[in-house]
Amino acid sequence: MVKLNVLNLEKSEYKGGKSSLCPGCGHDQISNVIIQAAWENGIKPEGIAKMSGIGCSSKTPAYFLAKSHGFNTVHGRMPSVTTGANMINKDLAFIAVSGDGDTASIGIGQFIHAIRRNLDMVYIIENNGVYGLTKGQYSATVEKGSKKKKGTANEQAPIDLCAMAVNLGCTFVARSFSGSKKQLTALLRAAMSHRGMAIIDVISPCVTFANNDESYRSYNYVKSNDEVLHIVDYIPHFSPLSEVEVPEGEFSDISLFDGSTLRLETVSEDHDPGDAVAALRAIHEATQEGRHVTGLLYYNPNQPTATDTLGLTDTPLVGLSDEEMRPSAESLKEVNAGFRASDSS
Amino acid sequence: MDKIYNDFTINVATANGTGSQSSNLIILHSMFEMGVPVSGKNLFPSNISGLPTWFIIRASDKGYQAPGDETNIQIIMNKDTWEKDLKALEPGTIVIFNEDAKMPVERDDCICLGMPMTTMARGISPKMARLMANMYYVGGIAHLLGIDEGAISSAVEQQFRGKENAITMNLQAISEARSYASENWGDVSKFAVVARDKSSDTFLIEGNEAVALGCIYGGINMLSWYPITPSSSLAESIINWIPKLREAGDGGSTCAVVQAEDELAAAGMVLGAGWAGGRGMTCTSGPGISLMSEFIGLFYFAEVPGVIWDINRTGPSTGLPTRTQQGDLSMCYEASHGDTQHIVLIPGTVDECFEFGWRAFDYAERFQTLVFGFGDLDLGMNRWSTSGFDYPSEKMDRGKVIRTQEQMDAIPDFGRYRDVDGDGVAYRTLPGSGLAPILYRGTGHDEDGIYSEDPDVYYQAMQRLKRKIDGSRDVLPAPVIREEEEGDVGIIFYGSMENSIVEIDDMLEERGMSVSTCRVRALPYHSEVEGFIERHNRVVVMEINRDGQLYGILRKELPRHLISKLYSVAYSDGLPPKAREYANRVAEVLGD
Repeated sequence: MVKLNVLNLEKSEYKGGKSSLCPGCGHDQISNVIIQAAWENGIKPEGIAKMSGIGCSSKTPAYFLAKSHGFNTVHGRMPSVTTGANMINKDLAFIAVSGDGDTASIGIGQFIHAIRRNLDMVYIIENNGVYGLTKGQYSATVEKGSKKKKGTANEQAPIDLCAMAVNLGCTFVARSFSGSKKQLTALLRAAMSHRGMAIIDVISPCVTFANNDESYRSYNYVKSNDEVLHIVDYIPHFSPLSEVEVPEGEFSDISLFDGSTLRLETVSEDHDPGDAVAALRAIHEATQEGRHVTGLLYYNPNQPTATDTLGLTDTPLVGLSDEEMRPSAESLKEVNAGFRASDSS
Repeated sequence: MDKIYNDFTINVATANGTGSQSSNLIILHSMFEMGVPVSGKNLFPSNISGLPTWFIIRASDKGYQAPGDETNIQIIMNKDTWEKDLKALEPGTIVIFNEDAKMPVERDDCICLGMPMTTMARGISPKMARLMANMYYVGGIAHLLGIDEGAISSAVEQQFRGKENAITMNLQAISEARSYASENWGDVSKFAVVARDKSSDTFLIEGNEAVALGCIYGGINMLSWYPITPSSSLAESIINWIPKLREAGDGGSTCAVVQAEDELAAAGMVLGAGWAGGRGMTCTSGPGISLMSEFIGLFYFAEVPGVIWDINRTGPSTGLPTRTQQGDLSMCYEASHGDTQHIVLIPGTVDECFEFGWRAFDYAERFQTLVFGFGDLDLGMNRWSTSGFDYPSEKMDRGKVIRTQEQMDAIPDFGRYRDVDGDGVAYRTLPGSGLAPILYRGTGHDEDGIYSEDPDVYYQAMQRLKRKIDGSRDVLPAPVIREEEEGDVGIIFYGSMENSIVEIDDMLEERGMSVSTCRVRALPYHSEVEGFIERHNRVVVMEINRDGQLYGILRKELPRHLISKLYSVAYSDGLPPKAREYANRVAEVLGD
């Protein structure tokens, strides 16, 4: 029997075109997780807007959610396009894919300001530490000492996008690994249930240019240096118990905007995602040891989003009639009269 | 004394940040109040306080609005420019100066009239004396020119609306100055004002505010902006009018405003808004357009509607940020890499600022492309006369948007970029609609929006885009043509040059030249422009820049036999166009 989601849709309704990325690319695994998460969460495909910049990662919206509109914009400047679209249609569920070149270099300003506005979107960074489409130059997120397949080791300090996002007060900050399907799916489902800016920095090995063991972002390296903060389970609001086995041992639950829950099961020591300092400590300690910390690093719910503070009418602006957009002829007479009065008082 | 009525130029030299703008506007508005045809130009520095600023007031019964060729009355308040300002004057000029500046006034050939302005101001308010001193030259001018007391009062009341104390103190200052001038200067001015019938409908307004109101009535849904002189007042005016005019039934606003992190983001937001089905707009100046250029290409190639108003300042680079120019025309027309072409609307009056403000959105959605509004500092930040704005004469044109499955079913062989109607404009659907979704892209794409590097697909797509924009020519505002019977010389011009053309025309007539004029109001240019050139033997393209940018565009696009008729008069020194400068150059280039 074909499995259906809560909207009675098959998973195939969420699929996209055939990928043209290198076989084994981490990005393709992430695309599959996006399909899985959107399907499991029962989001209407036509209600989703897929956004991306330029790069290997930004090509992937062609490979998932074919029933959603999308925009493959310009390099690094996807957040501003998303902002404009969000202003006009705040009901759209924005799922954005970007790369580390896009986000940490050319588009770092727009990334920062999207966080600052708490733009209501899911922002996935497919982070492999190299520019793939231009044949493997280092990006700004690559660790000091990490070495790609060809050339010398990277000498410059990395930009940690999660640490930066936490510092900027991003309301949902997570890190995961394209090879950790279960963790990534749960985190992405939680991000989709969040209202506000949700960032997931996904380490996604570049199989062509940097999957050698000396690369800190290779499969082997990440597999053996993944410091998991907690086991994550997503419990959807529409079927609270059926999907998750109640874990043994310690756990804490996080309530998400749409009524769903993210259950965090303690691995070694407790991580409080409400504590920004703890999040930064976890990131910095892991970095010092050459490890990648994964899980929900920081979560700050119920913050006003980019559209909340603007005093907009309830109807998404795209749904306004011409009459609602153009003031009356009478009003223009008053405007003219007002100017005349002040010029001949 | 024989008086010269309503035909003179006043130049006020002050330092910025000293409150002189209020005084200057009171002079301007009091004369306007009397029905004197008057215009004002503010030449201000890119600075908050302390640098020189000049305000030029021109009265002209002939309706001339360009700065006059010479100064008839010079007011000097600024020690820093004192000597230079004095030196530049023609013999016989009336000079009003603040005696308390304790600066030499060695121009025996001029009529030099001093007043202890700061000392007198101290009598009213010791604390405010520095600012109040400027109100004394208003009184001096009022005496010399014979400006009505009633007109002064209403101008003061308008300037300080609601601030009773300020109104009282400033009126007292002006009155004291008037008495002082009457007692000490006497009747020395050959220049005077005389009341004219003033239509009760007219008022003065800055071009930027007129554009802002046009946008409000054009249904703007999203304004993104990054502050830059001289466009900031356009954005701020929209923000100011939204609560008054764009409130929905539930009290919420129907226009979102985002102050962007830079111009790149501002353009990206307009793109996102247009893609999502809204009416997005940003305003900027030349440096902003340079930064936005990458997105501008995406608008063009992905065919997304949007509006950008460019309020030109003097370039290149940071240039003269508070001076005017028509330096961005060719950039706007062809902004971004590769082959592109954009619709440019060029208002020449505040009425057109309003009209093109709303029309820009209709053109953008009809042609699914970016539309530029092309203003400049002179039109945008100075005050011009209007008898009131006309309500949009046409319903909003939302373009070819498919909103229902029924509409979709009625189109045979739909593709986002398929030219089913043969006009180059394809149908589009909106995100959220679930109708024929595609991944918009700036990469090459076929008629269905699918990535393609196929040579023929690319070639055909680019040909269709050219056809599409070409198809806008005769839909866009036609030129305003004033034609003489002779048909020898025609002048083509555009934008704020409108304010100087009457005077230029008169000056050429004095030389025995009878010229027709054609004011281009949009690019790509209307077919009537070509007709105008056909009917004349020699056509001068006159513009406020160095290189003759419209001249270049015309040379590129006109049929070969018309190109040899063209002459270029392009001149720019940062200041609003002086009629004589251009008239001389026109005569020179034609060899007449």
